[in-house]
Amino acid sequence: MANFLETKVDKFIFRVDPTCFFNSEGVWVRVEGNRARLGLSDFLQQRSGDIAFVEVKPEETILVVGDEFSSVETIKVDLDLTSPVSGKVVKVNPALEDSPEIINQDPFGEGWLCEMELSAWETDQPRLLDANAYFTQMKHDAEEEVKRK
Amino acid sequence: MSDPVKKVVIVPCSGIGKSFGTVSRVAAYQVTETDRPDQTQLIPLALLVMGDEESRKLLAESQAITVDGCKLACATKMVQQSGGQVARDYAVLDVYRRYRDFKPQGIAELNEEGEKLAAALAKEIDAVVDELSAHKEGGSHA
Repeated sequence: MANFLETKVDKFIFRVDPTCFFNSEGVWVRVEGNRARLGLSDFLQQRSGDIAFVEVKPEETILVVGDEFSSVETIKVDLDLTSPVSGKVVKVNPALEDSPEIINQDPFGEGWLCEMELSAWETDQPRLLDANAYFTQMKHDAEEEVKRK
Repeated sequence: MSDPVKKVVIVPCSGIGKSFGTVSRVAAYQVTETDRPDQTQLIPLALLVMGDEESRKLLAESQAITVDGCKLACATKMVQQSGGQVARDYAVLDVYRRYRDFKPQGIAELNEEGEKLAAALAKEIDAVVDELSAHKEGGSHA
């Protein structure tokens, strides 16, 4: 298990998985070979609140970077998530249908959204934030949000 | 005055400023004031937090139905910490998952969908109250 990067802002603890890359909205991607798993970052799920419903584009859907691939409805907001990578959806997390709350409980683990077969990782990767860069951005965003409250 | 021992206690979320908390309270009022006033009594969570003796006594002598507005489950936890027996615990989010068309919005006043969600939740609670009341009556004749 990865040692998370971790920060406490106000009373909230936010973790970042160092094995992931992120887009700016907080969708993570963890690459293994030619495949990748996607999910919501811990900060994004905590900021969005308890998740009521999740929908993910079905298997065989072809996506390019920036395409909407999932919609998430929480008690506070409706999120339309865009894909950080290009490729084909090959698996949707089956646990989400009955237990979408696993995203809140384990955002970097059991709460993954889908698996994709990558088609352009070499060109997609440089446009993503690595874990340290995302950690810095997330910490800044969290502190700004606390200031606004 | 009816015997409080025979009542089912309803303890809703006390969260102010959240739609789901408001749904829990609107449903609890519906049950205790309109649907099943003779069989139920509402205990405000704040009284349990303050250690109100009368509320704790009533809780000790009754079965409780808790209605939580979020995953912190303050109502359920507080009833348990106060020595109460939770016969059924509801989470508004779980109820919403069963009634997706009724998305609650608003805080002081719920939108129409929120009112419908609260009404649906109240109906579910009514059924549990009836079940618990029937058990008590059955038990008293045993």
